[in-house]
Amino acid sequence: MAREFELTRNITVGQYLPTGSFVHRLDPRIKLLACGILILAIAFCNSYGGNLIVLAFSCLLFRLSRIPLRYGLSGVKPAIPFIVILAVLQLLFYGDIASGGRVYLEYGLIVITSDSLRLVIVSALRFIEIIFVSSVLTLSTSTTQLTHGMESLLKPLGYLKFPVHEFSLIMTIALRFVPTFAMEMEKMIKAQASRGAEFGTGSWWQIFRRTKEMLPIIVPLFRVAMERAEDLILAMEARCYTPGGTRSRFRTYQTTFRDGLTLLFILCFSLLLWMYPFPY
Amino acid sequence: MKEPLIRMEGVSFDYRLNSEEVVRVLRDVSLDIYPGEYVAIIGHNGSGKSTLAKHFNGILKPTEGNVYVAGFNTKDDRYRREIRRRVGMVFQHPDNQIVATIVEDDVAFGLENIGVPPREMRKRIDAALEAVGMSSYRNRPPHHLSGGQKQRVAIAGVLAMEPRCLVLDEATSMLDAHGRREILQVLRRLHQRGMTIIAVSHHMSEAAEADRVLVIEAGRIAMEGPPREIFQRQELLRRLQLDIPVATRLAGRIHERVPDFQPDLIHPREIVDEVVRIAGKKGAAG
Repeated sequence: MAREFELTRNITVGQYLPTGSFVHRLDPRIKLLACGILILAIAFCNSYGGNLIVLAFSCLLFRLSRIPLRYGLSGVKPAIPFIVILAVLQLLFYGDIASGGRVYLEYGLIVITSDSLRLVIVSALRFIEIIFVSSVLTLSTSTTQLTHGMESLLKPLGYLKFPVHEFSLIMTIALRFVPTFAMEMEKMIKAQASRGAEFGTGSWWQIFRRTKEMLPIIVPLFRVAMERAEDLILAMEARCYTPGGTRSRFRTYQTTFRDGLTLLFILCFSLLLWMYPFPY
Repeated sequence: MKEPLIRMEGVSFDYRLNSEEVVRVLRDVSLDIYPGEYVAIIGHNGSGKSTLAKHFNGILKPTEGNVYVAGFNTKDDRYRREIRRRVGMVFQHPDNQIVATIVEDDVAFGLENIGVPPREMRKRIDAALEAVGMSSYRNRPPHHLSGGQKQRVAIAGVLAMEPRCLVLDEATSMLDAHGRREILQVLRRLHQRGMTIIAVSHHMSEAAEADRVLVIEAGRIAMEGPPREIFQRQELLRRLQLDIPVATRLAGRIHERVPDFQPDLIHPREIVDEVVRIAGKKGAAG
């Protein structure tokens, strides 16, 4: 019972596991870039062989960054319902579109072919691979590094008048306040529950009921957020923050030979995945 | 006499509720704050003490009158940065003034804003964290810290900008007794090193730390003087809905029974000294 009230413990956004491995020490910009390229390659790879190789590779990534694989698996767990729903829908309705290969079953509108079966399995694998790869990224890179890396990579957009720095500041502040709001929400849930409000009583399929139960939390949470925002603005202004002003940077990153090599390797690996005609 | 660091001349401030209604929060306040002073501003809720504090670095601008910080008028927006570099401010909520996800980065925030080069930043951040005793927490995320620790980080964030004056706007009111003690200790140390400190508070024991106390009532300065003098005027303080420190109350009670006992004590350690003094005398007489 008490577990539903403990939200801060369940927050995994930006969970960072410092092990000081090779992956941890890479330049965050390179990591972001490499991760993006790899995810793109995974999205285009639709053979059994290719996906098995990527799956093995992402497990290797966990090894390289000295992060236990169960962290990756715990990331997959909440995605299982989506994977299952997606698989069922694809299995039932994609027979017409992916109509190549042998026909296993034909029943009214429902057609299952070897190609649609392949699509189902490959999609599920891709899903897991992408979760693995992005887990390695967030587990091996602190949120500060991530936002700084993002800011650096987006810098060219600054020429198009895109507020790159403001964007990264917004991300930083958002991440900074996730645990604060989780704590706040926990307090509110406890306060409401102690006065007889019910939370989590509806089963998971009673979406409307469960949503309605959250309303008495959402409204005060918004109010508190506004209050905090006002305070934060004052505090930032008192520390000489001027929007759009020129600033210096505390953290600077140096791209080394190792970073370049990593990027090159990921690039080649991704190209191989994309171009190589896997027999299965 | 030295030049004042902050000079307020006939400051009034109106808080606009809507297009018709206006509430006058400050009425004709004039004061000087000199470099190296430790000033406490006390007053009950709604007396205008926080509004007054927000005038010291130009967050609020006077409706009438002028505020000068190191000679710069806060009404002139060109000097905003100069003023805020000189007068740093720490606010009430420990959680609502930390911007970054890591202690060190938060201390760097102000320095990045004023364009300090990275190498210099490292030095200043180390010194600031050292000054508040938070060096070993430099790589921690702020939500793992206690209230007092967060407030110390906030102070470090201001100190790194090397201000001449530190304004604390009820900075201890959200903290427990332990956290409050931590902050007072830091303030005492900074004051010894020559930092000008202005502490807004409704905790009387904090006011006892100051060199000078300003009592604000209905937007005016109602009393002004060293804490020892202020706390002797208990009738007036009570009318202003203000308390006196426990040590002073205790000294007063003992004074009624033992006329020899000094009534104008403000720190617990003074009570101990006085008891020892009187006990010693008795022992010598008996």
